[in-house]
Amino acid sequence: MAQPLVKKDDDHDDELEYSPFMGIEKGAVLQEARVFNDPQVDPRRCSQVITKLLYLLNQGESFTKVEATEVFFSVTKLFQSKDTGLRRMVYLIIKELSPSSDEVIIVTSSLMKDMTSKIDMYKANAIRVLCRIIDGSLLTQIERYVKQSIVDKNPVVSSAALVSGLHLLKTNPEIVKRWSNEVQEGIQSRSALVQFHALALLHQIRQNDRLAVSKLVGSLTRGSVRSPLAQCLLIRYTSQVIRDMSNHGQSGERPFYEFLESCLRHKAEMVILEAARAITELDGVTSRELTPAITVLQLFLSSPRPVLRFAAVRTLNKVAMTHPMAVTNCNIDMESLISDQNRSIATLAITTLLKTGNESSVERLMKQITNFMSDIADEFKIVVVEAIRSLCVKFPLKYRSLMTFLSNILREEGGFEYKRAIVDSIVTIIRDIPDAKESGLLHLCEFIEDCEFTYLSTQILHFLGIEGPNTSDPSKYIRYIYNRVHLENATVRAAAVSTLAKFGFMVESLKPRITVLLKRCIYDSDDEVRDRATLFLSILAGDGTVDTDKDSKEFLFGSLEVPLVNMETSLKNYEPSEEAFDINSVPKEVKSQPLAEKKAQGKKPTGLGAPPAAPASGFDGYEKLLSSIPEFAAFGKLFKSSSPVELTEAETEYAVNVIKHIFDSHVVFQYNCTNTIPEQLLERVNVIVDASEAEEFSEAASKALNSLPYDSPGQAFVAFEKPAGVPAVGKFSNTLTFVVKEVDPSTGEAEDDGVEDEYQLEELEVVAADYMVKVGVSNFRNAWESMDEEDEHVDEYGLGQRESLGEAIKAVMDLLGMQPCEGTETVPSNARSHTCLLSGVYIGNVKVLVRAQFGMDSTKEIAMKLAVRAEDVSVAEAIHEIVANG
Amino acid sequence: MILAVLFANSVGNVLIERFNGVPAEERLHWRSFLVKLGAENLKGVKNEELLVACHKSVYIVYTMLGDVSIFLVGKDEYDELALAEVIFIITAAVKDVCGKPPTERVFLDKYGRICLCLDEIVWNGLLENTDKDRIKRLIRLKPPSEF
Repeated sequence: MAQPLVKKDDDHDDELEYSPFMGIEKGAVLQEARVFNDPQVDPRRCSQVITKLLYLLNQGESFTKVEATEVFFSVTKLFQSKDTGLRRMVYLIIKELSPSSDEVIIVTSSLMKDMTSKIDMYKANAIRVLCRIIDGSLLTQIERYVKQSIVDKNPVVSSAALVSGLHLLKTNPEIVKRWSNEVQEGIQSRSALVQFHALALLHQIRQNDRLAVSKLVGSLTRGSVRSPLAQCLLIRYTSQVIRDMSNHGQSGERPFYEFLESCLRHKAEMVILEAARAITELDGVTSRELTPAITVLQLFLSSPRPVLRFAAVRTLNKVAMTHPMAVTNCNIDMESLISDQNRSIATLAITTLLKTGNESSVERLMKQITNFMSDIADEFKIVVVEAIRSLCVKFPLKYRSLMTFLSNILREEGGFEYKRAIVDSIVTIIRDIPDAKESGLLHLCEFIEDCEFTYLSTQILHFLGIEGPNTSDPSKYIRYIYNRVHLENATVRAAAVSTLAKFGFMVESLKPRITVLLKRCIYDSDDEVRDRATLFLSILAGDGTVDTDKDSKEFLFGSLEVPLVNMETSLKNYEPSEEAFDINSVPKEVKSQPLAEKKAQGKKPTGLGAPPAAPASGFDGYEKLLSSIPEFAAFGKLFKSSSPVELTEAETEYAVNVIKHIFDSHVVFQYNCTNTIPEQLLERVNVIVDASEAEEFSEAASKALNSLPYDSPGQAFVAFEKPAGVPAVGKFSNTLTFVVKEVDPSTGEAEDDGVEDEYQLEELEVVAADYMVKVGVSNFRNAWESMDEEDEHVDEYGLGQRESLGEAIKAVMDLLGMQPCEGTETVPSNARSHTCLLSGVYIGNVKVLVRAQFGMDSTKEIAMKLAVRAEDVSVAEAIHEIVANG
Repeated sequence: MILAVLFANSVGNVLIERFNGVPAEERLHWRSFLVKLGAENLKGVKNEELLVACHKSVYIVYTMLGDVSIFLVGKDEYDELALAEVIFIITAAVKDVCGKPPTERVFLDKYGRICLCLDEIVWNGLLENTDKDRIKRLIRLKPPSEF
């Protein structure tokens, strides 16, 4: 394509095909627009000039304020003409010119006259134009007419008023909300479009009133909806009502499910798909509820229309994330979509298959994907690579074929993001599957031999330095690393020098040879490379610069103890002087980030990714954060940190969640607090915890948060002592106390005086699962058999009536807090029995494996046989106790 | 919300573009993204065959009509199915105005009318009218025939 963004004024050789706008120029058109001022208006000519103005505007041309004002004033004169064609153009161009508020007054009287005119079409258009250009004060003047128009007999007038209402609701909600009676009447209209627009507006007006929405849905699902468009809206609103009801603890038969199910038989495809989608997205959807929806989606997979195929495969892709077994019936149809001409459809099909496929189909699938990868864009390839990574973690035994696939695509052409996704996947696989380590490292070594991305080369070298020395034959990696010193830029060379040093330090037999190699690097042209080589040579020689092995190890393998952000700030503030920069002067405390930034970070990094960001998150981050707080430093090694538990509802003034940190004889609650009110500053923020329902716990320490400005989260801590090594449980009630100070929004300054206040938070529980860390095993059978059969503890339990086996399995998993293995957490649809394999590490670092067999009888009563093997038999008993009490 | 309606000619020059709720600085990105999408996929596609794509959380439905390619971008309630409905109405209205799938010349000759049709179909990102016969009357300020 030559010049895709050039305006359409280029020449064409063919006389017949020349553009009527050829050579069009803004200045000339503005000159022509003076024709609007002629005493005798020529409708045809004026329409042509307006068309030219539209052409300019539609191509992104903009008018200066003076130009726009001049054209607008001239256009208003055209209201004198009675020519209907021209009048229609005038309405359009006024909207396009969007006059400023001080100019609007020129045209409002003409438009208001049209709005009350006997000619309906003038009325409809005048409403649309007025609603586009007026402000709140003018709206109150015409409100009466708009309200009348909503119930006008002419559907065009009624629709114009309703759609205007939808737009005005954003700017003047108070006024539009007063029209709800009229809008309600619109819903009864016989015109399909009026009903559609009225339904959309009424829902918008009442969206925060759960009862009203529920009533609206209740009456419409019984009555008749006249258009597929409105029916789709109704389905969406119905799903919302179902969600709200389940949030509010309504149980029993799911309300409105029958309505959704009946929509699967609607004659419009759009409605069928919408209903299927709504069913698949129901909270805790059962396989019985899912089946009819999946059946219709399957039919759409072979539709001749790409939009329908896309919609169906997109929905199934989502279902596969939560209910992979429910989608397996569609696998054959999905496989034929791999060759779909539409690449979006093909990618969705592939990633769905990767989620639903079983262990035996992996190889066949990989073959198909290999052909597919060559002709799709990088963005699609990344999606596929990420799906393969999850597949490998799910089926660790298949790592060979998946690793081969990844290494093959790593050698092919591709951009940075794509290559990074592949490298990240290989790294994840190496970390999760010990058997894959050696071959994975070699693939990475081969990749850096011909890698054009400095970032990836340095990251891989760093990773090699950590993992390589622990392999069976570390010497085989040296060649690849040393090649970098010869062939790469300074950044990569420096990284290679560091990696060599790590090998030299960790592998005694390699030390002499590494020393020779490092000596060659001290003549490098880059000072960083030379400095590193010199430093590492002295460490390896043990010449006294570095005191002990431990120090050397800490230096080579230890992580930076201060947050990178703080380090950067301190370095920037450092002024070169006689006094050397002191790393101890860098603050260790983690500064909180503003909310907006946090959200922008997107999903968490995997694989090599970026090193953990400065704010403490993830286990390592928490460990560092807690050890930097003197009150908690003596608690010993952190065993587990829970995921955040919300203690406030969404959209409250103060948002608080808590993370439970478990130590051997302590528990620390980390309260993450956010102040969502711009006009307030909170100080001395503390959490008062009542532990009267947690008998074994006694408060040991607390750390208040000094200041909590708007939108800048901070943390307060409370620590409890508990008997050592005991999985004590209990309930804690929490109250947030603080001093609140008013903030002047214009200056951002807080007043000096504050008022003490408190805020009740939800209760928090420490449960048995908090003492279990989810740790998977790559081969469950091997791990199971390697544990002593003598210590196996087996018992049977009745779990009562449940909707499905999956629900029972989830309950047991939540109760124990263990990692499901080999994809056994998903249950095939309609299965009556299932075995789920779980693994974890219990407090005291005791490895635990669980084999739970479930069976369901005809009355949906579920029985479970639980076999537990643990390194310590008392732990196996403890697991049974948890289940028996849960 | 229908974020964008864009018409381009066979070599990717923009003929009509209307954005709703898209900041001015992002429009150039969308314009080039859509035109590139069309160049890569619309070759040899039959008249009015709908193609579909998604980019982040927005949906794109596009098609060829004569020499003109038409792109719609939507999000939230305007997913691929709703956009397919809107593009169907737009193509029907354009064919009605031009009398057949238009060449670029015919399209430009009927430019004013097509703008009016678009104004009746999509208003500030919301679908307003869906019936081509009604639209045909409305752009002449004639009341709908059923009324």
